[in-house]
Amino acid sequence: MLTPEESILLITRTIEDTKNRFRENGHIILLWGFLMFVVTLSQYILLRMELYRIHWYPNFLYPLGAVYTFVYFLKEHKKHNLPRTIIGNIIGALGWLLGANFMILGFFFSQKLGEAIAPVFLIFLALFTFVSGIAIRFRPLIIGGIVLNLTGIATFYFDWIYHLLIMSIGSVIALIIPGILLNRESKKEDV
Amino acid sequence: MFKDLDPILHSQLRLSIVSILMSVEEASFNFIKETTKATSGNISIQIKKLQNAGYIQVKKSFKNNYPNTTLSMTEKGIEAFETYVNDLKKYIHPGQ
Repeated sequence: MLTPEESILLITRTIEDTKNRFRENGHIILLWGFLMFVVTLSQYILLRMELYRIHWYPNFLYPLGAVYTFVYFLKEHKKHNLPRTIIGNIIGALGWLLGANFMILGFFFSQKLGEAIAPVFLIFLALFTFVSGIAIRFRPLIIGGIVLNLTGIATFYFDWIYHLLIMSIGSVIALIIPGILLNRESKKEDV
Repeated sequence: MFKDLDPILHSQLRLSIVSILMSVEEASFNFIKETTKATSGNISIQIKKLQNAGYIQVKKSFKNNYPNTTLSMTEKGIEAFETYVNDLKKYIHPGQ
C-alpha cells in the first residue's frame, strides 16, 4: 500500500518523466536556425556581388526545410508513440501558420512590403521564439525572442542592403544559440 | 489506514497511468507501457478499472493496419485526481 508521501512522489516523478519524454530536443530549432542563416547570408553576399537576378534563389531552401520538418515530426511521433499535448499543438499550429505566411509574403508580396519585409519577418519570428520559450519554460528562447524583437524594430533604422545580414545575425541569436543549449540540455537529461 | 483516499487512484500503476494522462491531451497504450514499464496485461486490467470508474476514456482504432488504443482523462477523472491530491496534502500537512 502506498503512503501519501510515496503517492505524491510517484505523481511528481511520473509527470516529470512524461514531460521529459516529449520535450523538443532542439533539432528542429537548430535546423531552421542554420537554414535561415545560410539563406540570408548567401542572399546578402549575392546582393553585395550585385547579382540581383538570382539573389532570391536561396529562398527555395525554405520549402525543403518545411518538408523535412513535416516528415521528421511524423516519424518521431510514430517511433516514440508520442502523446498529443495542448502546448505541443499550440506551438505546432503557430509554427506552421507562421512558416506558411512567411513563404507567402516572401514569394508573392515581397515587392509590396519593400524594405519593411526584413523587420516584419524578424518581429514575427521573435513572437514565435518568445511564445515557444514561455511554453516550454526555456529561458534562452525567451531571451532570444526579446533580443530578436528589439533587433527587428532596430532594423528599420538600417539601410536595406544590411537587412539580410541582420537577419542572419538574428537567426544565430534566436534559433542557433537556444537550439544548441536545448540540445545540450536534452542530452544531459538522457544520461 | 488511508480510508479517505480514493481506492481507485490509490494504487501504484493506476496512479502512474492517471499522472501520465494528466500531463497530456491524450496518449497511446504503447506510450503508457513505455513510461510505466509495466506489462501489457497489467496495464489493460488497470485501464479497465479506471474506465469502469469513469475516470478515463478509451478510444480504439486502427493505425497502419495495427490496433491503436488512445487514452484520455474524463472530466470526472480530472476532478477525482484533484480531490485525491488535495486529500494527500491533508494527510501530509494535517494542520493546513
